[in-house]
Amino acid sequence: MNRLSQSLVLALLGGAVLRISAFSTTYLNYVKPGFRPFLIGAGAVLLILGATGLVQAWRMKEGQRDGPVHDHRNEDGAGDGSMHVPGAGAGDGAGHAHRQGHGHEHGHGHEHGHGHEGPRVAWLMCLPVFVIFLIAPPALGSFAAARSDDTPRPRSQALSAFTPLTGDGPVDMKIGEFIGRAWDDEKRSLTGRQVRLTGFAVPSRKQGQWYLTRMQLACCAADAFPLKVAVKGVPAPAADTWVEVTGTWIPPKFEKMPNGVVHPELSATGLVKIDAPAEPYED
Amino acid sequence: MGTMSHLHTDPPRAWTDEDGPVPPDSWGRDLSPGRALPWGFMLVIVLLVVGRFALAPHLTSAALRTWATIFVAICVQALPFLVFGVALSAAITAFVPASFWTRALPGRPSVAVPVAGMAGAVLPGCECASVPVASGLMARGVTPAAALAFLLASPAINPIVLVATAVAFPGQPLMVAARFGASLTVAVLVGWLWLRFGRSEWLRIPSRPHDGGSKLVAFGEAMRHDLLHAGGFLIVGGLAAATLNVLVPREWLTAVAAIPWLAVLVMALLAVLLSICSEADAFVAASMTAFSPTAKLAFLVVGPMVDLKLIALQAGTFGRAFAVRFVPLTFALAVLVSALCGWLLL
Repeated sequence: MNRLSQSLVLALLGGAVLRISAFSTTYLNYVKPGFRPFLIGAGAVLLILGATGLVQAWRMKEGQRDGPVHDHRNEDGAGDGSMHVPGAGAGDGAGHAHRQGHGHEHGHGHEHGHGHEGPRVAWLMCLPVFVIFLIAPPALGSFAAARSDDTPRPRSQALSAFTPLTGDGPVDMKIGEFIGRAWDDEKRSLTGRQVRLTGFAVPSRKQGQWYLTRMQLACCAADAFPLKVAVKGVPAPAADTWVEVTGTWIPPKFEKMPNGVVHPELSATGLVKIDAPAEPYED
Repeated sequence: MGTMSHLHTDPPRAWTDEDGPVPPDSWGRDLSPGRALPWGFMLVIVLLVVGRFALAPHLTSAALRTWATIFVAICVQALPFLVFGVALSAAITAFVPASFWTRALPGRPSVAVPVAGMAGAVLPGCECASVPVASGLMARGVTPAAALAFLLASPAINPIVLVATAVAFPGQPLMVAARFGASLTVAVLVGWLWLRFGRSEWLRIPSRPHDGGSKLVAFGEAMRHDLLHAGGFLIVGGLAAATLNVLVPREWLTAVAAIPWLAVLVMALLAVLLSICSEADAFVAASMTAFSPTAKLAFLVVGPMVDLKLIALQAGTFGRAFAVRFVPLTFALAVLVSALCGWLLL
């Protein structure tokens, strides 16, 4: 890997990172919102490193090409050579490395002299660029949500943190808060209240229900886990459809939490399809 | 090529005499690696932009997309830490003279080892940089055992790595503490063991590296070099983590993770294989949600000290006789200490 390709790889990666962080909100599919400035910084550094490397490599190249040409003109006068000799001069320098002439020093010194050979593993840095542009990975959806059933309990909140639900009409609520209130609220503030939850649909193996789901990030999308509410009473939309569901909580019939993962249940009365939100993950 | 001897004696005339075949066959050669490359990259960029609209709507397999999301997430999350860490480490390589270390370290080797280990906590060194830095230290007269303690400690417990670990494991400050404690313990223990049992003939101390040229140039070169190395291996780690996450059935992972000693060993070996830079490995570890905190700790402690890339670097710098002793010793101690720390703290 020579210096030119090193610089190009760095610039490509930096450009791709800037593309998803500075010029769009695509980065929200992968990391938390607060991470944006760091991404922009890192992308800019990569791009600058790559660009300066490119300029240097270009100058070296120019110098390398100029050398033999001057040489030739001095020796040969303004003869027939001006058309093909520039190419021949530079090519000879690189190709016939044993030659003692001018071309040798330029052509050879650039490639090996300063130890600029980069590691071959660095080529892999092109891969995220390809993936970002060609696959354009979306936010995690029902595939990931269905795979990981080992949902950790939502971060424990003090029981007093559940404020009473005021006002009338359906209350907009995050799925995490709904789950917390469903399991941990001793005052059972959800009882009889209409709530409106936002998430995407995940099919369920049980008949007559589906999961309204939102993924939550611990750190980035690689360690995301799903928050699920089992919805009953409305037919399941296609998997991965974003919806707003209105309904009321179904209090559990068991006294003690059974083993395994249990999702709180919602008796739904209304369902509205919506566009995927810009911030796909719940914070 | 019959003009060879003539060329040697009279180099300038080479250009006038080389009026052989037209066009000369060296034309194509010049174009292929040198000038064709930028055009190749331009083509790649055009393909990317076209592919964004032509190809992306068709690559919709759920598994592929999930894989891609996880892969990009790991790369993107780790990149800023990598860039920042590499920059600091390159700055230290370029701007802090190695003679500083000889003066700063205590004279008694047994005291110098823990001090050098602690120095790793303040001075970031990317693990690729830590090997040349340690060899530079030895070349300037620092006790090899102390230099080795620094070599093990600096990529594992420097502030950037600890911050990255805290970000990767939100709400689990003990993970950061355990990583710090276990890594420092291993580094100091290895240093002391080397001091007690190590023999000088095992270790090939490289000659003093020449430093010449501007420091800014040295900084740029060190940063570019480390970034290319570490970046490449970060991608390897991201690929492996995303593939594990999507392809390997969850039941297998939970089955392995259910046996504590096996889980620790598997994660330790994974750390060796993946060779992820220490600034980035916490995010890969955090993505292995099936595994216990202790197994993740083993991954975090072993990774910065023993991995394929480091073994290659160490064998190349200090000689094979050194590597065959140093690497197994470090690996065994790292696994033991992290198991112990995990059991105590996590």
